[in-house]
Amino acid sequence: MSEMANMDSEGIDAVRMTWNVWPRTKVEASKCVIPLAASIAPIRPHTDIPMLPYAPLRCKTCSAVLNAFARVDFMAKIWICPFCYQRNHFPPHYAMISETNLPGELYPQYTTVQYALQSFPDPNNSNATQLPPVFVFVLDTCMIEEELEFVKSALKQAIGLLPEHALVGFVSFGTQVQVHELGFSDMSKVYVFRGSKEISREQVLEQLGLGSAGRRPTVGYPKVLQNGYANTGVNRFLLPASDCEYTLDTLLDELQTDQWPVQAGHRASRCTGVAFSVSAGLLAACLPGTGARIIALVGGPCTEGPGTIVSKDLSEPVRSHKDLDKDAAPYFKKAVKFYDSIAKQLVSQGHVLDLFASALDQVGVAEMKVAVERTGGLVVLAESFGHSVFKDSFKRVFEDGEHSLGLCFNGMLEINCSKDIKIQGVIGPCTSLEKKGPNVADTVIGEGNTTAWKMCGLNKSTSLTVLFDLSSTERSNVPGAANSQFYLQFLTSYQDPEGKTMLRVTTVTRQWVDSTVSSEELLRGFDQETAAVVMARVTSLKMETEEGFDATRWLDRNLIRLCSKFGDYRKDDPSSFTLNPCFSLFPQFMFNLRRSQFVQVFNNSPDETAYFRMLLNRENITNAAVMIQPSLISYSFNSLPQPALLDVASISADRILLLDSYFSIVVFHGMTIAQWRNMGYQNQPEHQAFAELLQAPQADAQMIIQERFPVPRLVVCDQHGSQARFLLAKLNPSATYNNSSDIAAGSDIIFTDDVSLQVFFEHLQRLAVQS
Amino acid sequence: MAAPVPPGAPRPGANARQQSPHPNFNPNFQTNPNSLADNMQNMNLNRPHSMPNSGPRPSPFGQPPPFPQSSVTAGFPVASPPMSRPGPPPGMVGRPAVIPAGPLQSTLPANVPPGRPVGLPVSHPPPFGSRPPPASLSSSTGGAVLPSSAFPSSGVSSAAAAPPPPGTRPSSFVSSSPLIGGPAGPMSSARAGPSSNGPPAVGAGALPGAPQFPPPAIVSQPPVGPPPSMMSARAPAQAPTMRSVLGSSAASSPQTPPLPSASSPFPAMTQARPPPPGSPYGPQTWSMQPQQGTQPSHIPGSTHAQPPRMFGMPQQALPNQAMTNIPPALGQPGAPMSGSSKIDPNQIPRPIPNATPIVYETRHGNSANPPPPATSDYIVRDTGNCSPRYMRCTINQIPCTGDLLTTSAMQLALLVQPMSLPHPSEDPIQVVDFGESGPVRCSRCKGYINPFMKFIDQGRKFICNLCGFTDDTPRDYHCNLGPDGRRRDADERPELCRGTVEFVASKEYMVRDPMPAVYFFLIDVSMNAVQTGATAAACSAINQVISDLPEGTRTQVGIATFDSTIHFYNLKRALQQPLMLIVPDIQDVYTPLETDVIVQLSECRQHLELLLENIPTMFQTSTTAESCFGAAIKAAFLAMKSTGGKLLVFQSVLPSVGIGALSSREAEGRTNISASEKEAHKLLQPADKILKTMAIEFAEYQVCVDVFVTTQTYVDIASISVIPRTTGGQVYYYYPFSAVSDPAKLYNDLRWNITRPQGFEAVMRVRCSQGIQVQDYSGNFCKRIPTDVDLAGIDCDKCILVTLKHDDKLQDGSECGFQCALLYTTVYGQRRIRVTNLSLPCTNMLSNLFRSADLDTQFTCFLKQAAIEIPTCPLLQVRDHVTNLCINILLSYRKFCATVSSTGQLILPEALKLLPLYTLALIKSRGLRNDGRIDDRSFWFNYVSSLSTPLAIPLVYPRMFAIHNVDTKDGDESVLPPTIPLSSEHVCDDGIYLLENGEDALIYFGSSVDSSILQQLFGFTSVDDVPTQFVMQQFSNPLSKNFNDVVNVIRQQRCSYLRFALCKKGDPSGMAFVSCMVEDKNANGPSYVEFLVHIHRQIQMKMS
Repeated sequence: MSEMANMDSEGIDAVRMTWNVWPRTKVEASKCVIPLAASIAPIRPHTDIPMLPYAPLRCKTCSAVLNAFARVDFMAKIWICPFCYQRNHFPPHYAMISETNLPGELYPQYTTVQYALQSFPDPNNSNATQLPPVFVFVLDTCMIEEELEFVKSALKQAIGLLPEHALVGFVSFGTQVQVHELGFSDMSKVYVFRGSKEISREQVLEQLGLGSAGRRPTVGYPKVLQNGYANTGVNRFLLPASDCEYTLDTLLDELQTDQWPVQAGHRASRCTGVAFSVSAGLLAACLPGTGARIIALVGGPCTEGPGTIVSKDLSEPVRSHKDLDKDAAPYFKKAVKFYDSIAKQLVSQGHVLDLFASALDQVGVAEMKVAVERTGGLVVLAESFGHSVFKDSFKRVFEDGEHSLGLCFNGMLEINCSKDIKIQGVIGPCTSLEKKGPNVADTVIGEGNTTAWKMCGLNKSTSLTVLFDLSSTERSNVPGAANSQFYLQFLTSYQDPEGKTMLRVTTVTRQWVDSTVSSEELLRGFDQETAAVVMARVTSLKMETEEGFDATRWLDRNLIRLCSKFGDYRKDDPSSFTLNPCFSLFPQFMFNLRRSQFVQVFNNSPDETAYFRMLLNRENITNAAVMIQPSLISYSFNSLPQPALLDVASISADRILLLDSYFSIVVFHGMTIAQWRNMGYQNQPEHQAFAELLQAPQADAQMIIQERFPVPRLVVCDQHGSQARFLLAKLNPSATYNNSSDIAAGSDIIFTDDVSLQVFFEHLQRLAVQS
Repeated sequence: MAAPVPPGAPRPGANARQQSPHPNFNPNFQTNPNSLADNMQNMNLNRPHSMPNSGPRPSPFGQPPPFPQSSVTAGFPVASPPMSRPGPPPGMVGRPAVIPAGPLQSTLPANVPPGRPVGLPVSHPPPFGSRPPPASLSSSTGGAVLPSSAFPSSGVSSAAAAPPPPGTRPSSFVSSSPLIGGPAGPMSSARAGPSSNGPPAVGAGALPGAPQFPPPAIVSQPPVGPPPSMMSARAPAQAPTMRSVLGSSAASSPQTPPLPSASSPFPAMTQARPPPPGSPYGPQTWSMQPQQGTQPSHIPGSTHAQPPRMFGMPQQALPNQAMTNIPPALGQPGAPMSGSSKIDPNQIPRPIPNATPIVYETRHGNSANPPPPATSDYIVRDTGNCSPRYMRCTINQIPCTGDLLTTSAMQLALLVQPMSLPHPSEDPIQVVDFGESGPVRCSRCKGYINPFMKFIDQGRKFICNLCGFTDDTPRDYHCNLGPDGRRRDADERPELCRGTVEFVASKEYMVRDPMPAVYFFLIDVSMNAVQTGATAAACSAINQVISDLPEGTRTQVGIATFDSTIHFYNLKRALQQPLMLIVPDIQDVYTPLETDVIVQLSECRQHLELLLENIPTMFQTSTTAESCFGAAIKAAFLAMKSTGGKLLVFQSVLPSVGIGALSSREAEGRTNISASEKEAHKLLQPADKILKTMAIEFAEYQVCVDVFVTTQTYVDIASISVIPRTTGGQVYYYYPFSAVSDPAKLYNDLRWNITRPQGFEAVMRVRCSQGIQVQDYSGNFCKRIPTDVDLAGIDCDKCILVTLKHDDKLQDGSECGFQCALLYTTVYGQRRIRVTNLSLPCTNMLSNLFRSADLDTQFTCFLKQAAIEIPTCPLLQVRDHVTNLCINILLSYRKFCATVSSTGQLILPEALKLLPLYTLALIKSRGLRNDGRIDDRSFWFNYVSSLSTPLAIPLVYPRMFAIHNVDTKDGDESVLPPTIPLSSEHVCDDGIYLLENGEDALIYFGSSVDSSILQQLFGFTSVDDVPTQFVMQQFSNPLSKNFNDVVNVIRQQRCSYLRFALCKKGDPSGMAFVSCMVEDKNANGPSYVEFLVHIHRQIQMKMS
């Protein structure tokens, strides 16, 4: 399974596991070094997934959903749950079932099926129950005119792209928070909240006049107006996009940068925290179950009120990793705690926080991460609102069609698994719902202590990493033959962009293996890419949560242990060391992981690190692998584009290199190519081949950019140019100034003391074979 | 009182002459108020334009004057400062030109309020008139002419400040102007100057005035010549009547001036029957002049006569009877009881209003001249002491010892009204600029240089009249002394020859740059406010008043509305429309924007107007019943904090939420009756300290709050009023608010509030000569340290009571000085120090004290002290206290001064003969009655706290006029019909009566009123049709016209638009009227006669 096709490595199920064959015991599992884990993309679309227009059948004891792995007694109209072996009768409407007349969920190939649910069955008005999505834009106004213009035009564009029935709200903030009442026709009307004071959800509701009057309707009757939203009073603030587009446009035209004076030598006073509180409070007045996102556009650090990350005094820099390490970031913990409370509130309401941060300095993504990640929000970090990273990403959020993100709301993931399998937790954009059960492990990693998770926002590429453990009870007494298979079932319910409630059920099975007997099978079940990504995610998590965690050493130790266990070697003879092909790429992943931004955080700000990690955690394995180990493609006259070694040696004067490191895409022209280009050969008809050569990497880069969210930064550079550092930083420093003598002509060297891959391997071999 | 004053003769003369002008004057006088009247016109409430009178108004003069004045004010001062000192010639020239151009207004000094100017010219002549100079003649003639011409217009007077036809003015100006031109010149010019001061005030007043004055003063003295005799006469002669006569002529002249003299002898006649005059009117004009001549004769005659003119104001009385009057002998025979029956109700003392302005010089010779009654019409010439409008003392001679004062049982206190509105004919206050060094001050007590500082040692040193310290004269202020021991330049320097001057404040008087004029309007838009029309009325009033705000870039405005939240508006011009900013947190408020909430008027006018038009409709469907008054003013305060300014709040319901929320205490009090009886006065205290704390903070940041309460329910004024009181503002109370009749008053009140002379961020201190010290201040202000009062805002209507006490003995024959210094910022951003000086003789004679007692001031003092007690004492106690104050004074007089020992007689000092009547009225007043609503009483005593002396008397003893026959008078004289005593005996069933107290006006319909009169006056024919709400209308018949004129005159006099209520016999509304009949016996107290008997008996008891 590890060699699954490149095109669709995750298949219909969108599940990839570090080990596709599991050892039977906890002890054995721990010897495998790499944790038992699955990466799932809960709602990744696939053409083969059947859509079933009815509700699923659930096992009456474990509530697992009927699936292709259930044994069915057609005569007795009974199905046996593969998880708990409970025998369940089919309900009457399944009476027609027979070996030749199977419902969709029982087709063996449909291990993943999707149910379209009606949450409020209403035969007369099937549309009535579909709550329109809500978008509350939260705009920072503490920025220079130019930036504000950028962001305004982006906003206007976005509002134009919203579905007509989507409800829109607008909040701006600076020193204070301004909630714009869009439904007030007489004049522009704004509720102003002070930025310096923490405000509870009840206060927000009361002060916006949504208090008693606003909430009463939400409790009892889902009364619905003709345009589909409940009359909770909140419609003063949230208007259908089609109704308020004009209002918003004028409003944005008149919107000024924050007018409160900024003292010289000080940062603008910006109350991002309160703005979030207020927006979350506003959304609290929506009907429960309404899918809503707070789309925050932030241009700088929060300096006012709760959630402050740095003082206003410019002489005090925003915290760095070093400060965090030394506990010298006085605002950090308090801010995180505050954003955590926001996260809790949003999760309880089922609403999402999206963060679009554009600033040269940090804005506090590290602190806000918790709120964004727990709610499944999107995050984009750019240098400017005028930059394509922001502009294009932002536009993408609202675009329809092929490239749409497929933003869904109110997701809930439940996992059922076979006995003896314990769930330690989930890493990724979700929140534990604290639903305890027999399958909950004692140790927690990420969002744990549960078998159900809330994903307030999710989209078709959202991925989660589930970490498993095995029951510590000795299993040897159980005959293996009886159940050589184990099952995992992922149930994801959510509201799709149209507001329909869907339930997707993925049931997968894998084999137990007695690793004490055969490690061969175990070996073949190893998924190096997934394992590398899981290691990266676990490492990131540990770095964030464990004090004094030494990531490099931990990774090294695990790699050495892994190699010791699965490598072929003679003790104490490094040269004898070989690795099974199933493992052969793994050390290199680890090498690159050690050098990556995830581990070497000191090259980045805490904001960037938080940003990288959030994306690492939410992307699928393939993309996450690119983040760890970028892909490099070489373009030259002599050959078709081909993958090149991620090595400085790949640089050549007559080549163009295309580096995809996920966050940035670098088109790198060799020296000669650059010279030709500068001389304009590509414009001459006889050199059309050159023009095509120049064009090819650009076109490929565009392809990548189009499919990716957030939109990566595109760097086009020439050899020896200053921008070339984006490439060089990612390459294996096989040629440095220490050994510059033996490099090929036209290649390059990297000025670094970092060890090269070769040196790393040598050490690895030596340590792995040590007894 | 008038001891030093020259005998009546000279004055009378003056008066007489003036009288002729007088008609004009009145109009002018009212002119200030005119602004109000004008407003009315604008509103078309009263006046049809068709009226001849109205004609003049529209004329440029008319309208501009009222307002401009205020605006002019600023301009004027600026120009003047330089002028004033050196008496620069150039300035002179310039001015004359000015005068013609922008006649009245431009000229008006800062001090001078609006449109009075007209009258001025006329007035001047008289003083001179007495003299021979040709100039005077011309002027006088001019004056005489004017009157005639003026009359028609004057009749109109009510109409506008401008009333006098344009024509008149010019003439007056002309006369004055020539003089002015001459200023530098000879005496004649000088004289002219003084005479003309008023009008020319502008130009001439300041510069020329100074130099000229001396001469006039001197001149005047000669005339005084006679006075001396008077002086002597005083002591001996008891001519109560005389005075009364005089008084009548002077003060009451309007009604019966001419005749009065004749009629005066028959006291009963005059008072009891005000009407006799039908004739008087006609003659007036003429008689005026003759009067002078005649006066003397009058006096004698009057002497014998009984105290016909109750009003027997001190002034006139002073000269003659100097001492004590035992005017009406009550119940002469022994037994009070029986006596009472014998008392002739027609002979008991009653006030007689005077409408004819008299000219009053503050000092004569070298001594203080007792001031005319505060309620009379007079024109002041500042000859060393300040105008009594600015400061007056309860006794015009200062007892040398505290014991003497105690014996007299009188109060020693000053009533200070530093920004008081001057008569238009008076000289403007001169502005003196000492440059960067600032005004010369005593280095010990910091008293400001004044005419009473004595220069010695060739002028090298001066002795402070306040603390007695000898200071070196600053080198550049040195001047040699003349043979008379005065500085040679004394007459050229206003600060050395004027009782009131204004110094330009130097840097050291500024903590910061003078603040801009900031006006913040805060409007209640809760459901009730919107539905009762209060919101619309407020918005409309503000909208109309915008154009009256001071011009210029220093004027800033802001606006906010509130219900259960506070709505600010961003009025910045860059926005297409105003932006509403809501502050929803009413427990902990803040301002929604640092800038843009308060914007320069010139930048936001359109937005503001648009907004004000929209607000009523915008909130029309509001269902928010709550009102967060406290939070709203706090938020507005925060927005204004950096500058300070005026916060004008329109509030309609009980503040129920947010900071400083109040509860309906009144209702709670009622349900808990046992508590309410004992603790009734607790409801008159603020509910808690929150608002007080806020108020002090406001005051600290120079935010002055005025609250316009437009309500139909209880709003707890006792609590709310703490804010305006502490910040130098005031409460306006419209209860029950009527969308029909109240908007006009609301507008006029607001307009006056904004256009009246006023200052910001003020500090005031009163200094006294050694031996006397200030005991306490009371009024609308914030006091942080004992010696000073902080006034976030001060305006011409605000009066402060300063109680004094002895801390040492004073020298008999010396003078005791009082100096009130007010440091403030004008609406145009100039920092000024207004220094008001009063120097009074000291005496060891008890009889002198009684003779010089100032009734109006004493009573105002009573009134204010009673008002202070109301919230803290049971009602009964307050009443007893008031009664005892009166009794004790009379007792003291009886004991120590009464020469006749007929024990059976109640003997009243002439100067205080009305004290019992006023005391009785006070006991029956709204604040001291226990049948009123809590809010009414709260409003009453808050209103009193800042009330000026001239308005204090009518508040308790209102004026009543018959209006069913206002057309019967003969055309040309005083507009106001004679007043009627407040006794139901004088109210006929077939009459319609107007009763006004300066704030409210009741129109009472007898049960059998002639329907044609009703039709003419009100447009309905039956008493049964009397509506509950009333809007003044003018119909095209003389009766209606005259009625409107009367009302307008009153409005002008009171600087108040008056709140009208219609009362019908037998109705609850009728009860309100009846309860104002203070001479009647009713549930609230005895009849006047009974009360006199009561007092008499008490005195007799104490005597024995």
